[in-house]
Amino acid sequence: MQPIRSVIVDDEELARGIVREFLTPHSDIEIIAECSNGFEAVKAITELKPDLVFLDIQMPKLNGLEVLELVDKNLSVIFVTAYDQYAVRAFEVHAIDYLLKPFTKQRFDEALGRARWKIAQNETVPFSEIVADARPRDVPLERVLVREGSKVHVLPIDRIDYVEAQDDYIAIRSEGKTHLKQQRLTELESSLDQKRFVRIHRSYILNVDRLARLELYAKDSRMAVLKDGTKLPVSRSGYEKLKGLL
Amino acid sequence: MHPILANQERLAIYMLAWLIFGGMLAAVLAVPKDFLWTESLAVAVPLTLLYGTICLSSWYMCRVFPLHKTGYAQLLLLYVIAGFLTSSLWILIGNGWTLLLERLSLFAPLSARFTAKTPLLVGVGFILFTLTVAVHYLIITFEATKLAEQRELQSRILAQEAELKALRAQINPHFLFNSLNSISALTTQNPAAARTMTLRLADFLRKSLRVGTQELIRLEEEVSLTLNFLEIEQIRFGPRLRVEQSISEPCKDCLIPPLILQPLVENAIHHGIAQLVGGGTIRLLADWSGSVLRIQLENPVDADRTKSRRTGFGLENIRKRLRAIYETDADLHTEEKDGCFTAELSLPAQTSRAFSNRQKAENGNGLTDVSGK
Repeated sequence: MQPIRSVIVDDEELARGIVREFLTPHSDIEIIAECSNGFEAVKAITELKPDLVFLDIQMPKLNGLEVLELVDKNLSVIFVTAYDQYAVRAFEVHAIDYLLKPFTKQRFDEALGRARWKIAQNETVPFSEIVADARPRDVPLERVLVREGSKVHVLPIDRIDYVEAQDDYIAIRSEGKTHLKQQRLTELESSLDQKRFVRIHRSYILNVDRLARLELYAKDSRMAVLKDGTKLPVSRSGYEKLKGLL
Repeated sequence: MHPILANQERLAIYMLAWLIFGGMLAAVLAVPKDFLWTESLAVAVPLTLLYGTICLSSWYMCRVFPLHKTGYAQLLLLYVIAGFLTSSLWILIGNGWTLLLERLSLFAPLSARFTAKTPLLVGVGFILFTLTVAVHYLIITFEATKLAEQRELQSRILAQEAELKALRAQINPHFLFNSLNSISALTTQNPAAARTMTLRLADFLRKSLRVGTQELIRLEEEVSLTLNFLEIEQIRFGPRLRVEQSISEPCKDCLIPPLILQPLVENAIHHGIAQLVGGGTIRLLADWSGSVLRIQLENPVDADRTKSRRTGFGLENIRKRLRAIYETDADLHTEEKDGCFTAELSLPAQTSRAFSNRQKAENGNGLTDVSGK
């Protein structure tokens, strides 16, 4: 039987130690990497493609949920956290396994048993929904994360010019570069600050700060001209939204 | 509510007293042989009981003219007039009662003999009225004292609850659960370190519970508590957390509100060190210049971290506490520059003795002198 390849992600050496210790009697689980921050975790998960990840939530650089947002979805995850009311609520809603620090060996084995079963069943988990649910609702997104290979880019939202929908991806335009991310435009729109980012078109979200002027180029049809000269189409409802804001 | 009417027990005692007065009045009438015992009882007992009921109304006067807020001359005049009027009214009713008894011809004619006793009866009525007034004032004073005691007790309970709540808020759940997890990990990896950590944690909790009940503590105590907390976090973060301190010697005796640094160090860990891959150094500095004590806490921060993690209720809490204690004499200033976050507290520099003396001089009640000097 193939061993289950697992990665331990926690910024505290002691906390990784206890997971390692509890895994010792389980000979079917192989630890292929240990990571102490979010960037390392994304890199390890992307490159090594483990079956199972023990994922801490509070970490430097990227938290556990942000890591999930950036990696391939065919992965089994056991969340480990000391205290995070939002995340725990999200886990409960989606019946995802999580361990609250400090946890017992018995509780750990239970979680591991369920993970084994899920890996055998090849069961997928609705990660994006968990990530969305785990975010505090009233706080708009501060940064957008994109991954290029195993490298993570952090895009602060005030440096984003506009976002364009492209098939299954979104193309984020920021500081002269375009970053691709696998996400739906509507999903991003709902987590952005509605006063700064406007869905001007079915396929575009615009950072209002970047708008230079609106041009009428046909009856009922307008173009948004950005400060760098880029022109984007504006739909009728998009125009109404812009008018409301300006 | 009327203090006697509202309380059945009191009303019973009150009416019993009036029944005794009735008996005494009957004796006053019967002993000089002007009335037969049956006659005097039939006249005096119903009348005194009625009078007792009438006298209850004096409470409303007592309430309108509180003892301490009304001049004695005014009170004297008021109750002399009220007493004579009430007692005269009573005798008038008494006359009516004797006439009625005459009509029923149960006794020999009474009213003339009753009228002859008018001065004596008015006098008795007056004395009984003033007695009732005195009783009412006594009850009012008694109840006011009881109420004040209850209020004081209640405010003490409220203050204690607030303190406990503040303390619960001080002990950060992240800190507690992460520490317990570290202990759990150390028990197998390094039992001696697990014990050290348990003892440090116990020490920290005990100390913070103790100082939390005090109004002000010496800076030295607060600093030792802060370092105690950082020692615990050092076990958890390992080499990622480094601590430097520089507290100038005279500052150590300055008095500050307990646990005021706690939210600051927690922020330094949670928003600073914990977000940095390589960790960093937390610096605690305290200096005294002129009459101002300055306490500074510096920690590195990750400039890329999200803003939503920056919001701290802790800072707002500190500002509220400072305002409550020092009004505008104290301040908390925070600044983030080049990846370094600085929080600076400035407070009036008050050493134990100088401060408690000044307090005593100002409002006559000294604060608990924690230094024991």
